[in-house]
Order: sequence, then C-alpha cells, then structure tokens
Amino acid sequence: MSADSPTQQIENDSLEDRLYTVRYDDPGDSHLDVKVPEVCAECETNDCVKVCPANVWREGEDGVPQIAYENCLECSSCRFACGYDNVVWEYPKTGGGMTFKHG
Amino acid sequence: MTPELDTETRAAPNYDDQFDAIVVGAGLAGSAAALTMASRGLEVLIVERGSSPGAKNVFGGVLYTPTIRELTEFDDAPLERYVAERRFSMLSRDDETAVSLRPGEWHREPHNDSYTVLRGEFDEWFAEQAVEAGATLVTETTVTGLVRERGRIVGVETDRPDGTIRAPYVVLAEGGNSLVSEGANLKPTESRENVAVAVKEVLEFPDREGVIEDRFRLVDDAGVSYHYFGEGAVGDAFGGGFIYTNEETVSVGVAYRIEDAVAADQSPEETLNAFKTHPAVAPLVRDARTVEYSAKTIPEGGAESVPDLVHDGGVIVGDAAGLVLNNGVHLEGTNMAVESGYHAARAIARAADRGRTDAAALRAYPEALEQSFVVQNLERYAWLMDAVEADRDLLFEELPRAFADAGTEYFRMDRQPKEVHADDAKDVVLDALGGWTGAAKLALRYRKVVT
Ligand SMILES: Cc1cc2nc3c(=O)[nH]c(=O)nc-3n(C[C@H](O)[C@H](O)[C@H](O)COP(=O)(O)OP(=O)(O)OC[C@H]3O[C@@H](n4cnc5c(N)ncnc54)[C@H](O)[C@@H]3O)c2cc1C
Ligand code: SF4
Ligand code: SF4
Repeated sequence: MSADSPTQQIENDSLEDRLYTVRYDDPGDSHLDVKVPEVCAECETNDCVKVCPANVWREGEDGVPQIAYENCLECSSCRFACGYDNVVWEYPKTGGGMTFKHG
Repeated sequence: MTPELDTETRAAPNYDDQFDAIVVGAGLAGSAAALTMASRGLEVLIVERGSSPGAKNVFGGVLYTPTIRELTEFDDAPLERYVAERRFSMLSRDDETAVSLRPGEWHREPHNDSYTVLRGEFDEWFAEQAVEAGATLVTETTVTGLVRERGRIVGVETDRPDGTIRAPYVVLAEGGNSLVSEGANLKPTESRENVAVAVKEVLEFPDREGVIEDRFRLVDDAGVSYHYFGEGAVGDAFGGGFIYTNEETVSVGVAYRIEDAVAADQSPEETLNAFKTHPAVAPLVRDARTVEYSAKTIPEGGAESVPDLVHDGGVIVGDAAGLVLNNGVHLEGTNMAVESGYHAARAIARAADRGRTDAAALRAYPEALEQSFVVQNLERYAWLMDAVEADRDLLFEELPRAFADAGTEYFRMDRQPKEVHADDAKDVVLDALGGWTGAAKLALRYRKVVT
C-alpha cells in the first residue's frame, strides 16, 4: 500500500504539559534511588531511562542516572526494567507523590 | 531458647484487639475483601496510601462486574458507559484489518457485565460500600512491612508515627507493585518479561457536543472497547493499544512488555504518540485536549506466576497475586481482583468462627479460587503466551500486513474477474503463513483461544 495515506494531524502534548495534568505533592525527598552507583557506572543499557514514561531517569555524566523524582507517575516500570536489580523504589511518604483525578 | 510448641498450644500472639483484619490497599481486591468481611461481622481496617481510594490507581479500562453486582447496590455505582461494541484490530504501519462485535444482547441489562469506568471515582465509591458495611478506612498511610511472630503474620507497619497495627488476619491487596509481599518474602519480584508497562491518556473534546457518540456510532450510554495489535500499535513489541469511551472522555493507551520496551528505540510515551498518529486511530482521537496522562504496570505472568496465596495470618489477592489474564483477546484483572478478594474474605470469616489463623484454616480461599473462573481461565490460557512469543513476528508484523494486502487484493477494482483477485488474496496470506501446512499448524495451535 502507499506509504502516504492521509494522516490526520494529531497534536500531542509535550511531556511537560502531560505531567501538568497530574497533581503532585512533594514528599520532600526522593522515593527513588540507585542501590550501588558503581553498578550504574558500569551499566551500558540504561534500561531505567528507556522504560520511564515520565523522563524521571536521565543519563548522568558519570554514568550514574540523574533522578527527577518529582516527575514520577509511580508506575514501577523502572523497578522491573533494571537488569541489575539496582533500583531503590519506595512509596512516597504518607500519601505524597502523584494523584490521578480520573484514573 | 523457647521450646517449639505446636500452633494450638502456643501462647496467642499479641493483637491490639481492635481489628480482626487489616486490608492493605483500597483497590478493587481490597475493597471487595473488606466489604465481604465487614458484612460478616468482622472488624476491618483498610489502609490506603492515596489521599482517597483510587487516587493512585489507573487501568484501561473495562470493569467486569458479575461479582460487584452481587456485593453492592450496583445501581448507584459511578459507571461511564456499558460496552456495546468490542473491536479487535490489526494494524500494520498504515493499514487496518478489524473484526467488530456488536451483539444486540449487550444493549440490554446486565450489559454482559462490562462497563467503562474511571478508577478515581469508582474505587472511592467501592471503598465507601465497605465503610458503610462497617469497615474503617485510613488514607494517606502506606504499609511499609509486615509484623511477624514466629513466622506468623500478626499485623502491619505503616509510615505513620506509632504506625504498627496488629490483627489476626492481613489481606495483601496492594496491586502489582507489591513491595510489602516481596519485602516479606511471600513472592519474588516478577521478571520483566512478565510485566507490561502501560501509558494512557484521558482525552476531552472541548465544545464538541456529541463527538464521542458520532465518532463511535453510539446512542445514550452505550460505549466501545477497541483493542489494537501489530506493528502500528506497539511496534514489534508484545502488547497492544486500546481505546475506551467514557461518558464525556475517551481513554487511549498502549501496554507492552517491559522486556520489549527496553529493547525498543522509542520510549513508552513515543509509542503512545505513534499509535495515536496511525491513520486508523488518529480520526478517533484528534482535536482533543489531554486531561490526564498516567502510567502503570500490568503483571502478566499468568498461572505460573501466582505465588502461595495463604500464609499463617495472611492472604494475597488481586494483582499482588498475579491474577490477571492478558492474552491479547482478553485483558481482565478487575473481575479476578474482586473474585479473589471475595473468596479470601469468606475463608477468613470461616476461620475466624473457628478461632484459627493458620494457613491450613485459610485454604478454603485458594480452593474456591481454583473452582472459579479465575484459575480456570488463567490455566486455560497459560500456553498462549509461549505460543505467541514463538510466533510473534508472524502474528504482529507479517500477518497484519498480509491481511491488509489480501483485503486490498480481494476487493481490487480493475477489469480482472473476481476469481483472480480472490486467488491473489489467498496467495498473500498463505505466503505469510508458509503455505497450507503452515496455516493448518497455526490454526491448530491457536484454536483454543476461541473454542
Ligand atoms: C493500563 C491498564 C489497563 C487495564 N485494563 C483493564 C481492563 O480493561 N479490564 C480489566 O478487567 N482489567 C484491566 N487492567 C487490570 C486491572 O486494572 C487490575 O487487575 C486491577 O486493578 C487489580 O486490582 P487490585 O485491587 O488487585 O490492585 P490495584 O487496583 O492496583 O489496587 C491496589 C491498591 O493498594 C494501594 N496500595 C499499594 N501498596 C500499598 C501500601 N504499601 N500501603 C497502602 N496502600 C497500598 C494502592 O494505592 C491501590 O489503591 C488494566 C491494568 C492496567 C495497568
Ligand atoms: S538500568 Fe539499573 S544499573 Fe543501569 S543505569 Fe539504570 S538503575 Fe543503574
Ligand atoms: S515508577 Fe515509572 S514514572 Fe516513576 S521513575 Fe519509575 S518508570 Fe518512571
């Protein structure tokens, strides 16, 4: 079939706008971390970065990811994705973190 | 050293005596369990980490309600639409081949017990039913671990000051991100081949009265459940895309294995964008405003991943126990969550009547579950994931393309007789399948999905 069937323009929001749709209460400190930074420095796959739907995990200069925890949608994907079981994943304290209005 | 005493003669554990049972998580499984236990006269505490039940929860989705209908005043439930059409659609890069079901029966009560809902509202309502039956609900409180005495589960630790609460029974209804169960070594962390990452948007159509009814051919509170497979939905990953209609909004999303997500060259968000841009999908979701973006995981290890469901003083229910059926044709977890919570609660009520808390006294729960559709369905489809994995290129890429091409051939409008077109169409499909033998083998392999 022809590669250029008419596509309708879809205006997808930027990730930033998407994250604005979710209410966030900052629990004050990160509920995410890495267990052993050296493991990340050696890790070449960065699967935590690849799987995250909210750009929380970002490649850091020393090979250890930066964690923008306040973007987190608490989906838990990074916890399963890391092939080295190197993700520290806790729930934000006393109900903090994100709240979905619709779900 | 204290001498080992057997269960019956050992001193009774120290419970606070305020509650008979603690439920971890006010999702579907937790509220079903709490409601059932409270109706049988037990003092129940539900601990939920969100600011209200549902505040942290998201699904597709279609709620399957045969059991909830029995447990509640169902007419008051906050439902969006009943499912009047189910559509299964194969997408190649720019083709669609679909099968749609619109049985007349689904328009009539009880609508095949399938309704779209939004979890924020629904879970809050469902937990309220448990509270009305006598359960106590605390929110914004996270269970951080179990309290054990000589192995027996006797309570929970929470992140509140003086947050230890004791009770004879603990129901672990914490969902697929089961940190408490895993932390207590009641189950291993699921491997990433058995967990899907899902992203979803809820879309609104400002100032466009009737747009959902028009686009999806709906009247009144009828709604649709559309499932999409193949390259155009989630690339070469194992999973799919979905569209569900709510009353005033549309839910659109993708879900696919984490194992494939980390191998893909696009993020889950980009996969969602690509799906929404597919020429067969875009007209359904265009000109919308995103009112929510969300993400969650789905445990999909099937029957083999279900851990031991009963322990001394505790049970595991719902997604925490891996009770989700996701085989492409069916994505069902809500009914299994409710059913497991219900059976676990009944087993606890009966054990409580006899003053027992040991695992053996709670075995009525897994036994009832095995007799129910939950385990029967999980086991029935256990083989499917392996088969699909082995045939994935064929199923998700080659076949969708072949069907689209075959359709194009079959209906081709030129000056050749129809017979030529039919032969061409057949050839395209047979080519993809590896001839008649390949087709026969494939049909044999998958016949159990539909029979
Ligand atoms: C994208 C997506 C689409 C889906 N679509 C469908 C569908 O269309 N149809 C269908 O039938 N199923 C669907 N499912 C599956 C379905 O959503 C689940 O099977 C179901 O929600 C499981 O219910 P649950 O009560 O076991 O867990 P959950 O609904 O996850 O509830 C767990 C609850 O426990 C709370 N909690 C967790 N940990 C703690 C803690 N430590 N302390 C206190 N509280 C805690 C959570 O906040 C939550 O309220 C879908 C799932 C996803 C992710
Ligand atoms: S995938 Fe695991 S080991 Fe690799 S960078 Fe991420 S957290 Fe570190
Ligand atoms: S839980 Fe989900 S959103 Fe949060 S950091 Fe992990 S992958 Fe990203």
